[in-house]
Amino acid sequence: MRMSDRFRVDLARALVVTGALLYIPSNVLPVMTMTIVGKSEPLTVLGGVKELWDSGLPLIAGVVFLASFVVPFLKLATLGWILSLHGTDRHRQRRNTMHAIVHRIGSWSMIDIFLLSVLAAVGQLGALASVTAESGAIFFCIVMVTCLLAAEIYKPRLIWETPTNRP
Amino acid sequence: MNQALASHGELPEGKWIDCPNCEAPCLEKEPQAGEELRCSRCGTTILEYIGKKTLQPSMALSIAGLFALLLANTSPVLSFDVAGRVQSEHIITGVEELLSQGYWPIAILVFLAGILAPALHLGSVAYVSTACCLNLPFPRIRDVIRLAAWAEPWNLMPVYAIATVVSVVKLRMLGGVEWEFGARWVLGVALFSLFAQQTFDMRLVRARLENMGVAS
Repeated sequence: MRMSDRFRVDLARALVVTGALLYIPSNVLPVMTMTIVGKSEPLTVLGGVKELWDSGLPLIAGVVFLASFVVPFLKLATLGWILSLHGTDRHRQRRNTMHAIVHRIGSWSMIDIFLLSVLAAVGQLGALASVTAESGAIFFCIVMVTCLLAAEIYKPRLIWETPTNRP
Repeated sequence: MNQALASHGELPEGKWIDCPNCEAPCLEKEPQAGEELRCSRCGTTILEYIGKKTLQPSMALSIAGLFALLLANTSPVLSFDVAGRVQSEHIITGVEELLSQGYWPIAILVFLAGILAPALHLGSVAYVSTACCLNLPFPRIRDVIRLAAWAEPWNLMPVYAIATVVSVVKLRMLGGVEWEFGARWVLGVALFSLFAQQTFDMRLVRARLENMGVAS
């Protein structure tokens, strides 16, 4: 099946708007609950970063903060900017470069999902230790997938379309 | 210094090719040593001087990556110990646990990015590189090249390796953690994937396929 250019632009816009809306619950709601010896602690993305920071691990906290919080935000903002200028000839070279960067760094936000998977796998020690996924993780996943798909669907060639031959 | 050779807008005689990024038509000219053909519109490198480059590194790295992936998936990666009770983790254990908790979209995503896409990416790179190195036109090679291009951005083993390190740091705050045999293979897959990606040159693949007479 071949998508028309008009459909590609509309779909990419819809995906970015969806991602931007769900970015809020993905950061407000907990992504997992860790229970260690009866003590339960729901953790949001930023809560996990704070916990690492408080434990004297600023480098690891920085990596998780960048990958899980900053990268999805930057991706959404950059894709929003690129799509808002679609069909114009403004900043084409810059948009092209930013699109390539978004494509390259996008997958790093998966770090939190993999972290949840590893913790859930080892956290099966009954009352001693358990890790359960929470609804925030679903929103986080959707944000990640919408960003990946939007960058994939909106091809760089669409940046270079002139206003006269745009769909 | 590399010299930009491409031009578009005029239509001189010669073979025209599309820029893989912006699809602007560019006049093909075989680059010499130290040169590359760039799109004059978006600046993407279209052709590079091939010289004595081969696909042997990408073949070796992707086959090694497939072995490492097999071992990473069949051996435990780490074990967690709380009050004498120990739980070890395989890559698939996380997927199973997320499924059992009812979070199947996350489980599917982890399975895709942590197991399926790395296998498809490394497998397809190995298939195409081996065909090019042995000068054998394997069946459905064009489809396999497309599969490699699709699977590459979803092969997130380097991210999985970092997530494993972060999880160890986190778990050390709660109990005892030990690296297991599979951990080195997770790191191995991550490195082999990164290097295989770097050495898998599509320009070189196209040139080899043309030599073999495989239609583009």
